[in-house]
Amino acid sequence: MPIASANASQPAIHVADLLKTFNVPVREAGLKAAVQSLVHRETREVRAVDNIGFDIGAGEIVGFLGPNGAGKTTTLKMLSGLLYPTSGEALVLGHVPSKRESAFLRRITMVMGNRNQLQWDLPALDSYELIRAIYRLEPGAFRTTRDEFIELLDLAGLVNKPVRNLSLGERMKVEIVGALLHRPQVLFLDEPTIGLDVTMQKRIRSFIADYNQRYGATVLLTSHYMADVQALCRRVVVIHHGKILYDGELARLGAQFDATKTIGVTLKDGEGDLSAYGEVISSEDGRVTLRVSRADAPEVATRLLRDLAVADLTIEDPPIEDVIERVFASGSEGPP
Amino acid sequence: MAGREVLRPIVLAGRFFRIGALNELQYRANFAIQVFQSAIALGTGLAVLALVFSQTTELNGWSEPELLVVMGVHILMGGVIGMVIQPNMVRLMEDIRRGSLDFILTKPDDAQVLVSVRDIQIWQAVDGLTGAIVIVVAVAQLGGAFGLGQALLFGLAFVLGGLTIYCFWLILTVGAFWVVRIDQIVELFEGVYQSGRWPVTIYPGWLQVSLTFLVPIAFAVTVPAQALTGRLTPGTLALAAGFAIALMAFTRWWWRFGLRRYSGASA
Repeated sequence: MPIASANASQPAIHVADLLKTFNVPVREAGLKAAVQSLVHRETREVRAVDNIGFDIGAGEIVGFLGPNGAGKTTTLKMLSGLLYPTSGEALVLGHVPSKRESAFLRRITMVMGNRNQLQWDLPALDSYELIRAIYRLEPGAFRTTRDEFIELLDLAGLVNKPVRNLSLGERMKVEIVGALLHRPQVLFLDEPTIGLDVTMQKRIRSFIADYNQRYGATVLLTSHYMADVQALCRRVVVIHHGKILYDGELARLGAQFDATKTIGVTLKDGEGDLSAYGEVISSEDGRVTLRVSRADAPEVATRLLRDLAVADLTIEDPPIEDVIERVFASGSEGPP
Repeated sequence: MAGREVLRPIVLAGRFFRIGALNELQYRANFAIQVFQSAIALGTGLAVLALVFSQTTELNGWSEPELLVVMGVHILMGGVIGMVIQPNMVRLMEDIRRGSLDFILTKPDDAQVLVSVRDIQIWQAVDGLTGAIVIVVAVAQLGGAFGLGQALLFGLAFVLGGLTIYCFWLILTVGAFWVVRIDQIVELFEGVYQSGRWPVTIYPGWLQVSLTFLVPIAFAVTVPAQALTGRLTPGTLALAAGFAIALMAFTRWWWRFGLRRYSGASA
């Protein structure tokens, strides 16, 4: 991407030693403790984000992964200026987000899959008009962008209806258009496809990819759907308990955290006991799936082909969901 | 450029109003309901007034047409509150509770302005219109000379009163940053606001002070009504202006303080 290389020297997002702590009230169960807490409230410091650091280059799409409560949304909120960091450094497009300068806010956007910003009772077109007024967009350029997005997402028949009459998926599409009308250079997408069906997820994914290509925008995306991450992100940052467990290529995540491969075997003469070759994960309809270590995979496959009458054999990386699960599990035990 | 920035709240409110109006105009039933409500409120108000003046010819120095002026201003201000102030504050409370305020805070415009003008209930304008008609009728009944100067004075007092009430609402609403559920303030305010049907001067001293500085109904209703009935002294107007300016400055500071709490900057 040309834009990415042009600004490669200065990252679009720079995060160093970023820390956010919350004081949450704690009390024992029971009435006595409840009454006591009225007088003397005990709080405990929780580190939602614990000294994390990463750089994201202009034009990159990075997947931000972690289980619920890992600190993803807190980080996104700090980067978009909604939360004030306890300490550490965050720079987005050279701005300190918490200052919430107009020049900064003009260049970013935030999409939250479970919340709406468009006016519920109005057609999306009217809300877009309000967005134009708020961002003070030039009418001609605004119309061009709006119509282009409407066409890309096939929204022609929907933008005239009140938002409350739209389906969840349709609503998300009109929301995303609203969030991008001012052509932001940095996109913070928090679960943009949550609750959507597969077709709609794909549609939104390809729109994001397209926007990234067209405008060289930087995207930081959180999603529970690994399909989103696989389709869009070459790089992922995995966070757990506020700490970064992994930052690198998605393709290498498996190699680092899950040193296994799965071998699928279909025998010509029905099922047999293959436990001698590896750990049997499943066995159904004549197909047996084995888990073996990454290093042993070629040798096991050779033995299977040599010893048995094999109709079909595949060697695959384990599903990304399984890998992620292992990453999180390793995070609970401490980094590997 | 600075002039444009000062007018920015009005420009934005105009946009929101236009779009809200275009949409609401489709729902004639809402209009009919509002007309019905306004008619009942007006009818009750007039009946009570007639009842009072069947017993006496004046109430603490206020004649019947003068009290009709107070009622007109009360309805007019009620219309403004119902049209702009209350819907925006209720929505702000909701947004704070549900976390959707985030969208406002990521917009490159003044967040206080945005939360104050984005929801406009146009049918409440019926109340505004009713109030205006009552005022015109009452002023005509008063007889005497009514000049442009008096009208301007009323306009000024009314704007100051409106700003004061707005500040009062926003101060309470910002409390939602600390105490999440404060929905009851809507009913509470409506109850207290009813006391503005009568000039606050008829109430005992402690209540007068409360209705002036605690819940600023005196500035919102009685003072503009005084402007129309030739009772407004320069001292009172100066007090209304000074109070409005001080309250706006405090509201601004309080709003920012609340936001700092919301973003965890004060912790």
